[in-house]
Amino acid sequence: MPLLKTPAITLNSRKWGEADRIVTFYTLRFGKLRGVARGARRMKSRFGSALEPFVQCELNLFEKHGDSLYRITQADIREAFVGLREDLTLMSGAARLANLVAAVTGEGDQGPRIFETLVSGFRSLEDGNDPALTTLLYQIKLLGLTGFRPQTDHCTACSAAVGPTSGTVLRQFAPTSGGLVCPDCARRRPERCLPISPGSLALLQQALRWTPDVVTRLKATGQVRAELEAVIEAYVTVVTGKHLPPANFLAAEGNPQAYGTRD
Amino acid sequence: MSVEHRGLLSQLVRELVRLPGIGHKTAQRLAFHILKTDGEEALRLADAIRAVKERLAFCRQCRNIAEEELCEFCRDPKRDRSTILVVEEPSTLYAIERTASFRGLYHVLLGALSPLDGVGPSDIRAQDLIDRLQGGGVKEVILATSPTIEGEATAIYLTKLIKPHGVHVSRIAYGVPVGMDLDYADEVTLTKSIEGRRDL
Ligand SMILES: [Zn+2]
Ligand SMILES: [Zn+2]
Repeated sequence: MPLLKTPAITLNSRKWGEADRIVTFYTLRFGKLRGVARGARRMKSRFGSALEPFVQCELNLFEKHGDSLYRITQADIREAFVGLREDLTLMSGAARLANLVAAVTGEGDQGPRIFETLVSGFRSLEDGNDPALTTLLYQIKLLGLTGFRPQTDHCTACSAAVGPTSGTVLRQFAPTSGGLVCPDCARRRPERCLPISPGSLALLQQALRWTPDVVTRLKATGQVRAELEAVIEAYVTVVTGKHLPPANFLAAEGNPQAYGTRD
Repeated sequence: MSVEHRGLLSQLVRELVRLPGIGHKTAQRLAFHILKTDGEEALRLADAIRAVKERLAFCRQCRNIAEEELCEFCRDPKRDRSTILVVEEPSTLYAIERTASFRGLYHVLLGALSPLDGVGPSDIRAQDLIDRLQGGGVKEVILATSPTIEGEATAIYLTKLIKPHGVHVSRIAYGVPVGMDLDYADEVTLTKSIEGRRDL
């Protein structure tokens, strides 16, 4: 039973048995993994709040032979992200990023850049950047790092160029093909494609290309943002195979369907 | 075991696995235990489940567990009707009752909001609580949801909903457990206990 140490972010945590928790982490060194924290719900638990969602901790764990669940022995807080717990909009934005990473990564696949991007996304939300735009841009960034990078240069069906400089007027995004389709292919597809204006496409390409520290400087008008949000929402649903909880809790308040799927 | 016998047993295992905190291995162990137990003892469990489902329901006013339309606290004329303490589950209500430090009424949400799991306002029927406030007479609502992300989300949301009704809202203090050495408290807990300090 080797002892492993790694910085980790808690993606979610479930009650287990009498007083334990099963916690899903995204770790710097080992990618996504799940571990059991014995006694974590007891009053005098040595874990305290270190295993709460969004907290970044230094994790100590044992790998149990023949078991995908690790045993958590110690967790010390590195970055608490207290601000993400005090506002529903920030909380639901952070929850969306955590849920996306949990849904699109496999246990044990290493991805240090995914870890860094998630941490940077939480910092950006906590620092008071526009929460809806930050959540949108970081979702795009994370998709780009997890093998679900949206294809934005040419038609995913026929490979014709459809980028912002190609002169094709009407651009459409096909969620099930994970990228742009040219007007001809869009017409022939049975699935619904979403329109994407040159402005939204440019923002999508910038968000994919740029580093996290620059991402927060991107700006978007209401229409560009709404269009890109619709595209990413549809794509995330295809990629994760389910409707993730709403990225904006308060906006979804009057819309019970937004909470339709739980699992 | 015959195919049919295995079928009956796996049906029991399937039902047990649905219980919270029960995995497949535990369910199998429990199912074999039930199989080996003598008939009367095993059927007592079945009877107890049936009795709970047939005789117990949720209080019409506060959604605590109740044998009648109203629970024991809502029926009790000696309880202070101007204060409502909100909890996530009936188990918390009974933990608070054991302290004998609260004499008001309760409201049980039977859940908590969860931005991570997609539990929204309609799932905790927050409007039921607001309806109670609109009935008048309530001066204070004490939010005793857990200091978890779900409990926090619920407290923030309810505060936003209750404030416009002119009712005082408070949140139970949280921080360092009694008997704990302060050196061992983590930074979130310490931050919260400093924020929640009180005058002496
Ligand atoms: Zn094409
Ligand atoms: Zn009652």
